[in-house]
Amino acid sequence: MITAQGVHKHYVDGETEVHALRGVDLTIDAGEFISIAGPSGSGKSTLLNLIGCLDSADEGEISINGTKVAGQKVAALVELRRQNIGFVFQSFNLIPVLTAYENVAMALSLLGTPDAEIRERVMSLLRDVGLEGMEHRRPSRLSGGQQQRVAVARALIKDPAIVLADEPTANLDSETGEQLLKLMKDMNRSRGTTFVFSTHDQMVMDYADRLCRLHDGEITHDERRSA
Amino acid sequence: MRSRGFLLRLAVKNLTRYGRRTVITALAIAAGVGIYIAMDSAIAGFAGESDRLYAGYETGDVAVTAPGYWEERQRFPLDRLVADPQAVIDTLRADGLSATPRTAFSGELVVRYDPFPEDGSLQAMFYGIDMDRDADVFGLLGSIEQGRAPDAGEDGLLIGRSLADRLGAEVGFPVTVTTRTRDGFHQLMDLEITGIFQTPNPVINRRAMYMPIGLVDTVLEMQGAVTHVHTVLPGNLPADADYRRVERLLADVDGVEVLSFEVMNQEMAEIMEIEDNALQIILFLLGIIAVVGISNTMLMAVLEREREIGMMRAVGVRNSEIRRMFFYEAGAIGLAGSVVGIALGSVLVWLLVNIGLDYGFLLDGVDMDFRWDGVLVGVWNVPTMGYAAVGASLVAGLASMVPVRRILKKTVTATLRDDH
Repeated sequence: MITAQGVHKHYVDGETEVHALRGVDLTIDAGEFISIAGPSGSGKSTLLNLIGCLDSADEGEISINGTKVAGQKVAALVELRRQNIGFVFQSFNLIPVLTAYENVAMALSLLGTPDAEIRERVMSLLRDVGLEGMEHRRPSRLSGGQQQRVAVARALIKDPAIVLADEPTANLDSETGEQLLKLMKDMNRSRGTTFVFSTHDQMVMDYADRLCRLHDGEITHDERRSA
Repeated sequence: MRSRGFLLRLAVKNLTRYGRRTVITALAIAAGVGIYIAMDSAIAGFAGESDRLYAGYETGDVAVTAPGYWEERQRFPLDRLVADPQAVIDTLRADGLSATPRTAFSGELVVRYDPFPEDGSLQAMFYGIDMDRDADVFGLLGSIEQGRAPDAGEDGLLIGRSLADRLGAEVGFPVTVTTRTRDGFHQLMDLEITGIFQTPNPVINRRAMYMPIGLVDTVLEMQGAVTHVHTVLPGNLPADADYRRVERLLADVDGVEVLSFEVMNQEMAEIMEIEDNALQIILFLLGIIAVVGISNTMLMAVLEREREIGMMRAVGVRNSEIRRMFFYEAGAIGLAGSVVGIALGSVLVWLLVNIGLDYGFLLDGVDMDFRWDGVLVGVWNVPTMGYAAVGASLVAGLASMVPVRRILKKTVTATLRDDH
């Protein structure tokens, strides 16, 4: 479970101080498929960064599965991300010299998983995301949609509690974007992984079981829908 | 350990990203390593040759003198002598060591017009040598290229080819040597050049002349005393243990001092130390070039992959692992450069060892104290090659730390933004 209570975040953009989050309160239960929507500059990426332990709040408190993020040592946060949080980025961010298989296997290699287990899990997941037979291709030989599928597989391979996806469909055409959303929803259903999206794409909002709208750093709308 | 293996594989794959840049950097390192190996070979060859020629033609491996003689040797003192050289020689021979006496003195060589091209004189160093035993220790008598060595009782003189050419001397020409006896009285010797030698030691070719030690004993009124007894020890160049052996053997002989080769070679050792320092400076400069080259290459790699590094940090790759990955990457460039550098250095060393670099023509007419005839002959120094390879790889790896540190100082979110 993720909780944010009275979270404020400021940052400086050039000579301007931006108050990105203004007292955000949010609770996300395990297994949710939630979309945080809002226009550019509304604070959704900032909130995702705080939930992902990539940044720290100036005020307020964020907890991941009961562990308060504030006050944790950097190394502990790195371990938390390494073990429990998966990321999907807007621009995929695959390592170009690695094959699809190696990009996905990276997270398990870093965790010290035995090679045989890595192979079994990666091949199974690549099959699940529809990339069977493409495991030896490098990102340059994959379409945008296929690359994002590799990124989703990379995020899921370590069975994280949470996957954070920052505008995951922004660089995809609508058909490919919808296929990807279906895939992630399937993963959410089958694995019980919590998915948190930031988006201003209506299709992503439509797919979400819960929609939070952010405006000028405040949650203005929080709607749960039937799964 | 698995993460280390993954990072190593990733580092090697990353090398293929910037082919031309990687190759240029590796070649720069290769050039540095190759030059260093060749220079080390040349300097070690120079030092070895110098030691060999000094021991083989001037000092032997160990010399026995009167106490305090060595400190005064530049003035060729005849008041500090080994009074009973035969006792020293017999003691050494009893232990299976070859030994020979020599008496060094200074004097003036006087030559006159007809048969010489012109009148003249020059200050020179003269040695009385034992014509029967000298070859047991020194290579001089085996280097006579014209004429012969004087007989033991003959008023004959051996001179070097360089000096002979300078004077216009030929075998059979008469010369006069003026000097002082042991007691300081003026003395004059009329001699005939019986032979001209050409050794690989240019110092004695240019400056030294040799005559029978019996003649020197009579003319200088030495009463059987000599300035040196030289001996040669087993092995290529003497070790400290060999020297101690001679010292122990002569512990009961009065009025002698045993000089190790190290002591006698001190001046050359100091010159070689300067050479070594020069090599270290060159090594330092090559290191700077490698550091700048590799830092620049890695800086560009780091900047180009900033977002990728941000992604890796976001998914939980530790900073230490990112540092390690770049260390491996840069170290691999250094290693590749080192391998090529060793190959290049080996070719240069092979040429130095088997052909040598002859720039004796640059030394014509130059009177130096180096025992070196102008042909630079290298030696194989395998440990240096290993040190150079390991050193270059480590330096390259460490040089990558600066640009990596720069990127890791940024927050993860800043690296993910990647404005580049």
